[in-house]
Amino acid sequence: MLKIENLCKTYPNGTQALNGVSFEVEEGEFLAVIGLSGSGKSTLLRCINRLIEPTSGNIIWNGDDITAATGKEIRNIRRQIGMIFQQFNLVKRSSVNINVLSGRLGYVSTLPSLFHIFSKEDHERVKKTLEMVGLADKIDVRADSLSGGQQQRVGIARALMQEPKMILADEPVASLDPVLAHSILKYLEKLNKEYGMTVICSLHFLDLVHRYATRAIALNEGLLVFEGMPQEIDDAMFKHIYGKEAERIEII
Amino acid sequence: MTTQHSKNDSNEFNQKIIPFLSIIIPGSSQFLFKKNWRGFTIFIFSIISGFLIHWGYDKFNIGKVSINADVSFSWLIFPFLFFYFWNILDAFLIQRDKKSPVLLAFFSIAIILYVIGWSVTGVKLDRLITRFDDAKSVMRKLVNPDFFSTEVDGKIEICSWGCLWDYTAAKFTGAQPPEVFLSTNVGQIFGQKGTVTASSWAVLLGKATKNERIPGFETGKIIETIAIGLLATIFSTILAVPVSFLAAHNIMKRIPGGSIVYYISRTILNIVRAIDTIVWGLIIIVWVGLGSFAGVIALTIHSIAALGKLFSEEIEHIDSGPVEAIEATGGNFYHIVRYAVIPQVIPSFLSYTLLRWDINMRSATVIGFVAGGGIGFFVLETIRMGGYQQYAAALWAIAVVIIVVDYISSKWRFNILKDQPKTAAEIPAWKKIRNVIYVIIGIIVFLYAWEIAKIDLTKLFDPGPTFGRLLKDFVSVDLTGKVIDNVVRELIITIMQAFLATTLGGVLAIPFSFLAAKNLTGKNKFSAWIFYIVRSTFNVLRSIEALLYVAIFVYWVGIGPFAGMLALSVTTFALLGKLFSEAIENIEPGSIEAVNATGANKLQAIVYSIVPQIVPPFLSYLIYQWDINIRMATIIGFAGGGGIGLMLSTFFGSLQYHKAGTVILAIVIVIAIMDFSSAKIREKFV
Ligand SMILES: Nc1ncnc2c1ncn2[C@@H]1O[C@H](COP(=O)(O)OP(=O)(O)OP(=O)(O)O)[C@@H](O)[C@H]1O
Ligand SMILES: [Mg+2]
Repeated sequence: MLKIENLCKTYPNGTQALNGVSFEVEEGEFLAVIGLSGSGKSTLLRCINRLIEPTSGNIIWNGDDITAATGKEIRNIRRQIGMIFQQFNLVKRSSVNINVLSGRLGYVSTLPSLFHIFSKEDHERVKKTLEMVGLADKIDVRADSLSGGQQQRVGIARALMQEPKMILADEPVASLDPVLAHSILKYLEKLNKEYGMTVICSLHFLDLVHRYATRAIALNEGLLVFEGMPQEIDDAMFKHIYGKEAERIEII
Repeated sequence: MTTQHSKNDSNEFNQKIIPFLSIIIPGSSQFLFKKNWRGFTIFIFSIISGFLIHWGYDKFNIGKVSINADVSFSWLIFPFLFFYFWNILDAFLIQRDKKSPVLLAFFSIAIILYVIGWSVTGVKLDRLITRFDDAKSVMRKLVNPDFFSTEVDGKIEICSWGCLWDYTAAKFTGAQPPEVFLSTNVGQIFGQKGTVTASSWAVLLGKATKNERIPGFETGKIIETIAIGLLATIFSTILAVPVSFLAAHNIMKRIPGGSIVYYISRTILNIVRAIDTIVWGLIIIVWVGLGSFAGVIALTIHSIAALGKLFSEEIEHIDSGPVEAIEATGGNFYHIVRYAVIPQVIPSFLSYTLLRWDINMRSATVIGFVAGGGIGFFVLETIRMGGYQQYAAALWAIAVVIIVVDYISSKWRFNILKDQPKTAAEIPAWKKIRNVIYVIIGIIVFLYAWEIAKIDLTKLFDPGPTFGRLLKDFVSVDLTGKVIDNVVRELIITIMQAFLATTLGGVLAIPFSFLAAKNLTGKNKFSAWIFYIVRSTFNVLRSIEALLYVAIFVYWVGIGPFAGMLALSVTTFALLGKLFSEAIENIEPGSIEAVNATGANKLQAIVYSIVPQIVPPFLSYLIYQWDINIRMATIIGFAGGGGIGLMLSTFFGSLQYHKAGTVILAIVIVIAIMDFSSAKIREKFV
């Protein structure tokens, strides 16, 4: 269980990105995080694995205080949390193989990994995960020769290499067209349903939230303005979250 | 209400008062009117020109006008006063939302700078004419290089074009002309049979004893030069990579205390870079002695700093996404560097290395002037003995090598930056074999270069006898009044050399650049010829360093800053000519068409459509060239071109290291200021 208590983040330039956010996530949930651009979604997700240092507040995960972890501890926590990014964040010039293998870095000893030396099991694991995301034949090509949807699947494969208990996905489909959006989210759904991984995913489109999430929270200017079932977000709630001018748009 | 009123009042009052401030401090009212650039420029130029007028009058009686025995002054105060009054007028006009024409101010300052520059660099235009016969004779020698020899009455003589022509003609008619053969000069440049010191490999294999002279192939000076440039590039790249990580802020802020390391490394890199390769050569020979090894070290040191800076900027500009991703997987600092940073920077590192190789090859041709290795040393010797035809042969050899290197380097850079992803999963077998062969060739070339550049790492730990003193004296630089006085004088001369050369070369380059632009000339057969001739002239002239040209101008106008300035003008002319013509080629073809469509003639088309498009790139290249020239001017004195370089080599030669330290310090400061201001100007205008 992930428990977030009174989380605040103020950037060095004075921007208050998170303003006392508290909520809980049960194991096995698919939690959607929604909110306007700039409302603090990315900041929240990055605080959870400490890519960003929170200014105050606590993040407790299965009894461990993530906010208090240091050095080696924090890296041990990170490797149990997979992360998927809007811009995929692959090393474009490296092969798919190396990109996926890099998901193992938290587990292996430093020196061999600096020479791209990994165990046989790790190589097997790459094959398995790439098969799972349907990219087994692309193992040796460079990441930048893949399409956007394929790159995001490599991103998922990299996260899976960590054998994560939880997945943070920061707008994983915002750079993809609607058809691909569904295919990517189906992978996340599969990980959530079949493997029981907790998924926390920020999303822009409400129908995607309705379709995939088991629960949702909404942020507005760093404040938690909604917490509940996706179905509860009706037009009134929508206007409350996104402001009066907002119009709902649907995608396929 | 009342407060509002009085505030407005005082504002109005201020507006009235402000222009008067320019009478006391030029530029200050422009500054207060929020025209910061204008104000600052006026202020700086009044200080600089005021100082220069006073200094020039004091030291060299520049512009001296005597009214009677007691009263005399410099007429340059007239343009200065003109500028001063212009500034006041400008202030009042700005208050009325108008501006006075900048061109007037520009001219008055230009007059002051040119008159002073003209005097201190000893420009004597008459010499260009009166000694034109000398120029002709040196030119004749330059176009008749010493490549072939023939025997005349038992004596060996140079056989240049005329002689070669007679020879071939005689051969055709079936006569028996005296034999023509490659001269010993060619042997010295490219290599010949002779006696050599036994190589360390031969010693290792037990075939010779150390330092034994054995018959063998004497390496040519140009080959030695290539080896110097190659090794320096390899060494500096290897060393610059770790250094660049220390000087990259996004990397260093990840480790405790890293920010301090970052600032220290950046500062050191900037200082080392400001000292020219040639000056490093002077320091290094005190350490390891004369020879190509010293040259390699000097080039390496300067390249580490230059590459280190470029590399670190490249690291700072990587996409931070992959860094974040690797961090999120639980990777540590080394993982981030290895998996997220290095793959991203490899292409640009390679491309910078190739660029540096080009630069190092050019430096390698002149490092011999001070360090005593490679073709530069050979050139120095031939000039000393008046062997201008041998010198000419060396210049042609250098031109060929540099043009080839330039071509290879830019072609490879182009391929690297295209950086196409390989979609084929398997590398074909023949490519694997080819790569292995490349590696083997690379290793052999490296070892061979190591041998001919006489790399001897033990020398590093056995510094020369005065090296300790040099280090000690460098720390306690001589800042006494007289030394400072002299250093300031030479610095002004040096800056003026760069200033005159940049403007002179630039102005000359403009008309020729139009001839070398493919979209203007090259339309029909005749103009295509013009295009090729002008372009190749640019390329040949550009391939030879200014330092190597000085000898020609020394012969023509005599030793001193004027000769140095002319040498700098030649390289300026060539490089700017090339860059300008490329800028012209890059203009939009549509705009010429549009002007042509209105029925305008060629000249009108140039004025209305081309000029507006090329002014910004021309200015930016001019500033770029100014940066280069100011550096070059600091070393032009090593070849007899006057300025601070001459002073520096004198101090080194007479072991006055504390004074040499003063000079180097002054150079570093001047270069830093110039770099800073040209970066600012570029930001503002280009
Ligand atoms: N490194 C930073 N430094 C300063 N301010 C930042 C930084 N990163 C984000 N912010 C600010 O913090 C606020 C929240 O940003 P965040 O990226 O978390 O929003 P978001 O909800 O993810 O938006 P989007 O949908 O556009 O991705 C914004 O106002 C943003 O400008
Ligand atoms: Mg975001």
